[in-house]
Amino acid sequence: MNDSARPQSDSGPGRSRGRPRNAEIAGPSLVDLLNLVRSGAATTRQELERTSTLGRAIVADRLAMLGDLGLIDESELGAATGGRAPRLVRFAARRATILVATLDQADIGVGVADLSGNLLTEHHEAADLTEPPAQLAERLVSLFRWSLERHSAPAGVWAISLSVPGVVQSTSEGSFLSATPPVLPAWEGFPLVETLTRSFAAPVWMRSGIETMTMGELYAGAGIGRHTMLFVKIDRRIGVGIVCDGQLYRGAQGAAGLIGSLPVSYGTRSGSLDALAGSEMIQREGHAAAAEGRSPLLADILRRTGEITAIDVSQAAQMGDAASATILTTTGHLVGQVVATLANALDPELIVLSGSLVQTNDTLLAAVREAVYGASHPLVTRDLRIIRSQMGSSGGLVGAARVASEALFAPDFLREWIMQRSPQSHPDFAALLSQLESPPSLASSPASPVPAVYLQGKDHST
Amino acid sequence: MTISGLGPHGERAAPPERVSLLPEDRTAAKAAAWRVAVVMHTLESDWAKQLLAGMVGVFGDCGVVVTEVVDCGFNPRSQAAELDRLIGLRPDAIVSLPVANEEVAAAHGRVTAAGIRLVLLDNAPTGLLPGTHYTALVSSDNFGLGKIAAAGLAAHLPKDSEVGVLGFAADFFATNEREIAFSRWLQTNRPDIQLRVARFAEIDEAPKLAEQMVADYPKLAGLFVVWDTPAIEVARRLATIRLPRPMATVDLGEAVAIELAKGGSIVCVAAQQPSQHGIAAAQTAILSLLGRHVPAWVALPGLVVTRDNVIESFQTVWRQPAPREVLLSLKLSR
Repeated sequence: MNDSARPQSDSGPGRSRGRPRNAEIAGPSLVDLLNLVRSGAATTRQELERTSTLGRAIVADRLAMLGDLGLIDESELGAATGGRAPRLVRFAARRATILVATLDQADIGVGVADLSGNLLTEHHEAADLTEPPAQLAERLVSLFRWSLERHSAPAGVWAISLSVPGVVQSTSEGSFLSATPPVLPAWEGFPLVETLTRSFAAPVWMRSGIETMTMGELYAGAGIGRHTMLFVKIDRRIGVGIVCDGQLYRGAQGAAGLIGSLPVSYGTRSGSLDALAGSEMIQREGHAAAAEGRSPLLADILRRTGEITAIDVSQAAQMGDAASATILTTTGHLVGQVVATLANALDPELIVLSGSLVQTNDTLLAAVREAVYGASHPLVTRDLRIIRSQMGSSGGLVGAARVASEALFAPDFLREWIMQRSPQSHPDFAALLSQLESPPSLASSPASPVPAVYLQGKDHST
Repeated sequence: MTISGLGPHGERAAPPERVSLLPEDRTAAKAAAWRVAVVMHTLESDWAKQLLAGMVGVFGDCGVVVTEVVDCGFNPRSQAAELDRLIGLRPDAIVSLPVANEEVAAAHGRVTAAGIRLVLLDNAPTGLLPGTHYTALVSSDNFGLGKIAAAGLAAHLPKDSEVGVLGFAADFFATNEREIAFSRWLQTNRPDIQLRVARFAEIDEAPKLAEQMVADYPKLAGLFVVWDTPAIEVARRLATIRLPRPMATVDLGEAVAIELAKGGSIVCVAAQQPSQHGIAAAQTAILSLLGRHVPAWVALPGLVVTRDNVIESFQTVWRQPAPREVLLSLKLSR
């Protein structure tokens, strides 16, 4: 790679033809060098010269520019190997922050991450996603502002990444959202993406919960270093995240892994996997076991609280309740049979089970293992590990942060903003922000105007 | 009481009963003769003393020797150094209350990496995962405590007034949850109330911040301080300058109980149960050492304490009679 070999063009009106400024031809090599540093492929000038095949003078010049742009830090010395200790070249991951959130059926999580996608703080709380979306947006903005009071960065917020409980259809690969995609019927018409974009002047990315959790597990959990992995989330809906060749596989529409809609049957019952093995079935069966006197433990909970939740059934199974264990074993066998089909097709190294039901008892994990091992080719299961995720909802936050981090520094995207110091200067985003901030004209007024409170936030209200 | 908060990684709470010890567990623990070290943020507070008493008692019952109890004085650097020193002594388990977030995360990670079981109290530094970097977190339902405090203080707040929130500047799971929940409850149930927030890094900063807040915001009709030791300092300072305000806080320390009983400025306390907390932590450590699966987050509900129930609440929390001043204030002693 040699920048001087690239075609040089006139840089616009008012500027005479001739040798372009250094800054204008530096873009591609800046992008390449920054990503070598960011990925950890090179940590010293010598390594950068070797890995990038750029000359010493070019590397020195570009590192000086990256330093001026605030994207790298060369203040630390590495270990000496005989001569002078080399100066370490590090990515300035704390220059700006990424705001991340997971929106699930029963809870929301928010966090602040650095530009490498490492979480700096997180908070989770119960929520009801069937409530009006305006309330949800207000809550998100409040929690983001609260988090930023403690974890601000010199260059502010560079991205927002959301994990949502539905399929986010593939858009142009890696591009940020300019409008809210149809994810949940209850959110229809509410400009969530536009609200967040305007509130924090930062681009928004969005992926499904199963995708972000799979990314989180791959980059920060049990999946580190794995090339092939299945990540199974068992909740009200059951889905699988698929990792092939070390990358999340999204499919043509971003809808890969929707196993919950597959038809299954046991005994005389038949239906979708979601209907026969999801948490609603567990709750219903638990309630029946309590009401019919098959489970004294669940009957006691029902008397005291007036309801049985799937988590109650899960915890009861862990405490030795036979009826609850039977319910979870049925779920585990049904899920395991479907997952075994995928395992035989993909030959994964690792299957990770996730969701609060899996976290609170051993029965479900054992039943899935039994079904997968029983229905798979011996070669597939020879070294296969089936474990439970330890990341909880943090996995979704970490994965969302990785989505934004990868997108911000993807070469095609980075090239458009690197010389302007921040992604807010990316021409497409600058145009979007300008459009969102300008008063709507009669011809293009939005269907649901955003109340002022969402644009300004409320001081000190979390 | 139900648990209203979620764990540091969004976990659903497991009740303390989930880590009960069976007779065979105690027998097995006695035979193993484990050694455990305890690392606390402080040993000065009533809460810390009571928690330690509960924990050490269970360890004693099970033949587990507590080799050291370290007081870190709220200092992250000191805590990291102490953890590294303890790793060298190779105890079977360490029970630790991380005093900060990022500054102590690596040191706690080294404990588990060294093959020592790590049970956390109250706080899980960001990036550390249960099962990977620590065994379990045992804490109060801090989100629930914040809600209790808000509901208790709300009754004393006139319409369209302001409330001061004195939070803790350190990034600490327990105090963060209390602050968020307090604000959330008022936002939902009393949207007429405006919140004013300040955060103290040291306890003696709290009364200064409160005094400043009262001066800056004349409509300030109440205060929430995220735990009792700074709260009582705030109450005393505001009384001294003759600008007392109704206050709510967390933890039923002796001084707060006396203030509550005499009808002082503290009107509601969301009380933790430190003795039960310590018992649950010790049981979790023992079950983990026995190789049993333990929940990622064990949470204990908080108690609502007002002047009306301060005596029985004190007995519940501290497992001892209420102080004589409390009984005198409520005319139950002479």
